[in-house]
Amino acid sequence: MWMAALIGGMVLPSQAEPPAKIALQGGRIIPVAGPDIESGTVLIENGRITAVGPDVEVPYDAMVVDVSGKVLFPGYVSPHFFQGLDRSNESLPVTPYLDVYDAMDPSSRNFEEALRDGVLTIHLIQGNSCAIGAMSRLVHPIGRTPDEMTIRPGLALKLSTSPYSQLDRMSLMATLRETFLELDDYLANLAESRYEAQLQEEQKELKVGPDQARELGRPLIRDQDCDDRHRNLFQLTQGRLAAWIYCGMATDVSPALALARERGFFDQTVLVLGPEAFRAVSELKRAKRPVILPENLLYQQRDPITGDLQETFIPKVIHEAGLLFALQPDVGGSLGERNLGYQAARCVRHGIPRQTALEAITLNPARMLGVADQLGSLEVGKAAYVLVLSGDPLEFNSWVEQAYIRGVLAYDRQQDPRLKELLGLPAKQAAAVPPKSESAPEPAEDQAKEQAEEPAKEPAEEPKEPAKEPAKEPVPEPSDEPAKEPVHDPVVDPSGSGMTRSVAPRWNPLTAARGGEAV
Amino acid sequence: MTGTLSSVRRAASCLIALLVFGVSLEAMAGEPLAIRAARIYVGDGRVVEPGIVLITEGRISAVGTDLAIPSGMKVVEVPAASVTPGLIDANARVGSTNLIAPSRRFQSLDALRGGVDPWPPDEAPVYDGPHIHDHDPHEVDSSSPQATHREDPLHVGEEFPDEEPPLASGVLSSEMVNDQSSEVVPHTSVLDGLNLASSDFDRLVREGVTTVYVSPDPSAVIAARGAVVHTQGNLSQRVLVPLAAVKATIGPEPSYVGSRNGAPSRSGLSLYARRPNSRMGLVWVFRKAFYDAQRRQQGQEPYGADTAAPEAMAVLADVLAGQVPLRIQARLQRDILTALRLAQEFGLRFTLEDAAEAYLCLEELKTAQVPIVLGPVFEPENGRRPRMENVRTRYATFRQLLEAGIPVALSAQEYRDEDGLARQALYAMRFGVSRDDVLRAVTLWPAQMLGLEHELGTVEAGKRADLVVWDGEPFAATSRIVAVTIDGQLVVDRRE
Repeated sequence: MWMAALIGGMVLPSQAEPPAKIALQGGRIIPVAGPDIESGTVLIENGRITAVGPDVEVPYDAMVVDVSGKVLFPGYVSPHFFQGLDRSNESLPVTPYLDVYDAMDPSSRNFEEALRDGVLTIHLIQGNSCAIGAMSRLVHPIGRTPDEMTIRPGLALKLSTSPYSQLDRMSLMATLRETFLELDDYLANLAESRYEAQLQEEQKELKVGPDQARELGRPLIRDQDCDDRHRNLFQLTQGRLAAWIYCGMATDVSPALALARERGFFDQTVLVLGPEAFRAVSELKRAKRPVILPENLLYQQRDPITGDLQETFIPKVIHEAGLLFALQPDVGGSLGERNLGYQAARCVRHGIPRQTALEAITLNPARMLGVADQLGSLEVGKAAYVLVLSGDPLEFNSWVEQAYIRGVLAYDRQQDPRLKELLGLPAKQAAAVPPKSESAPEPAEDQAKEQAEEPAKEPAEEPKEPAKEPAKEPVPEPSDEPAKEPVHDPVVDPSGSGMTRSVAPRWNPLTAARGGEAV
Repeated sequence: MTGTLSSVRRAASCLIALLVFGVSLEAMAGEPLAIRAARIYVGDGRVVEPGIVLITEGRISAVGTDLAIPSGMKVVEVPAASVTPGLIDANARVGSTNLIAPSRRFQSLDALRGGVDPWPPDEAPVYDGPHIHDHDPHEVDSSSPQATHREDPLHVGEEFPDEEPPLASGVLSSEMVNDQSSEVVPHTSVLDGLNLASSDFDRLVREGVTTVYVSPDPSAVIAARGAVVHTQGNLSQRVLVPLAAVKATIGPEPSYVGSRNGAPSRSGLSLYARRPNSRMGLVWVFRKAFYDAQRRQQGQEPYGADTAAPEAMAVLADVLAGQVPLRIQARLQRDILTALRLAQEFGLRFTLEDAAEAYLCLEELKTAQVPIVLGPVFEPENGRRPRMENVRTRYATFRQLLEAGIPVALSAQEYRDEDGLARQALYAMRFGVSRDDVLRAVTLWPAQMLGLEHELGTVEAGKRADLVVWDGEPFAATSRIVAVTIDGQLVVDRRE
């Protein structure tokens, strides 16, 4: 971890390091893994959770944040997110050699909103319009470059068995078959040349026919032998890369499963279900592969004969089939569905156990991404992606008060000018006020009261013009209560729009190079 | 009509129902029903805890904690349930577009409503004024040849039930509500085009909405009269107020139709380019209509061109006399101020609809004491109405209006998600309004605005038995509507 910190320091020399140890003290802890703790402490050391419990001994040099009255919850994991990309889809149908890295827009408002809504890890993946799409990666919604945002690259390839505007169903299936047949051909030739190369190395003579050489050469193929066009597909067919296959309709499910079985990546397959795909529930149940549910959880259909409206709550069908599922937020949808806590609350509304609903927005997506040992719950040893909520995650009145990403205070509601604007609070003044210890999280208060008090308080502060103020080097202010010192201050928006962006961290531990694995 | 239905009339309709549908007479009269719940939110701030509601003859006969339930009475009992009055949407746009597949045949109509741009990009008019919306650069008109290359960034192969045309009033199979023969048609009625069998009513009632004011769409300057209807129940008794308020619109909507000086033939409906194609022209149409009505009142003949039909002016005279209520839809601050100015000029009292930017003119609204049917405002500010004129909504609007003492009701308009109006309430609570006030804003206050507070809006003896049973706290994200009654009939029953 200190390595990552060192690299971070090197890349962004102007940025100070965050406190090495943070104790979030006195909150109700919902660890998701394990029972709730009514009042306890989460200790974060060097970006990792080192203690969770009711009686945690806080090191003398830890920064203590009083979160009494609040709820500590693991950051939501958004399993299928393609909104922060330049375009969510490539126009070519087969592009396994592309990486969403090149399309990421760190300044996209979608990331800002994700952070505001408590989504601290995002599986950034291309959209559904493809046969074989680009490589995905796991990111967090802070950072000013794709590298800073990256948690783990190269997680999965996006596939689709659903027709889209450019490919009808037959052409799509033909394209998929052709692609893999071409891969077979390519790998056969590669195997042959690999075998020949090895014989040459060993100074032996070629004594077998081409078919046998291809067979013998097959195990000799290394990733670096493949060209860019084929490398990811090669890894996929070897079961070393996950496939996230979009199935828009029920009829798309069985081709997806058949393809995965035939090509050896069935055990690495996650199905991304469209609105109507849940109807293939018996097939899904037999396959026992994890599924991502559509944003719109309620499927409504009118019976063509009787005219009766039939409602199906999709998570309920999937849950009853015993499948592992994850929920996705409806980015760009209404305020409710945009919020993963609300999506989970709807599951509870329809009779799904609370624990299952909570896992569907935290641990389950982490499991599908193969990072459940690092993310998705508040457990010792996991990376510290922690939300400080004003109340229960399933209550829509709850707000994300603070979000910690590996020990960095990545979001603080008290310093969110856009939210203040929408809530009718004087936002620009608030943005201009440099972080002081007074602006540290206030004790839990009634929401309405808090808002009513806010305007009265603001004029006391000296209003400043945020746009005109040059970006200053953040100077940590000495304070009587260093424990409540916010870790970051607003960074002036380089676009010069006059809005300061409070969400940009001034230090990011995850600035490893493109290929680096931070988690 | 708004009053009690006479027993004779009821008996007659029951008889007809019996003859025609073979429904039992008892059921039609409203089977006696008792609802037992952990909490009853009366709707005026009181909570009866635990509570029992007794219903006979379609009306609430008693509400209390220790009521004896007569033997043989059907009982609805849900553990930890709470009961609220049936929700009232005082500005619903009720349509009948197909729920799952808003089909392409509405495209030309969409164009009229500003839903889909009828001009391919290369033919688009040069003028890029306020009536032309923020275009997504990736968006390609689906009727153009480029449509086949269109990339849908969000979904493929999916339908968007929510992305119906933004102004789809859709009364009568999504036809336009307002007759296009004139800009001033208050003598027409929404009821004549209303499809009471529309699937929208099914959806509304499942969301707990029992009564709606069906609003005409804003396609005419002075549009048809709205109607107040129950969302479910016996067809013969569904209409509560057949001729409700006259609707006027201050804003760009009337000018969507046949404006822009383009050949309107593509739109398929209008045979001529309509007159108001600016806000100035629109205000003139409004004023001219009321001038003429005033002149008629004074026994003078209206003069000049563009005189509305005499029937229309007769209705407007009633509006001037305060006998027919007036609704004005205005979204932007300037339109709201225009509405206030016009009302002052003619001494009109009115109810403001939508009012998304009301937070920008709180003082003026407070002075005028104009009731507001607000919303939906809690959508993301760049959200689901991307093709409308840029409206800057704020989450705080509802709270600020309440604090200013302005009478306000919440509306979901055309949004009919899993919980359209209930969702507006949910959002309002998130943005700092108490549950009591939120509940009033979707029950008692809209009832008052519709002049139906003696019939609807609270859980009190004597009122119509329009009730919603929730399996938890009302409007909570984890709560589900398990039962809805309208006039004492269980119209939604999700009990297991």
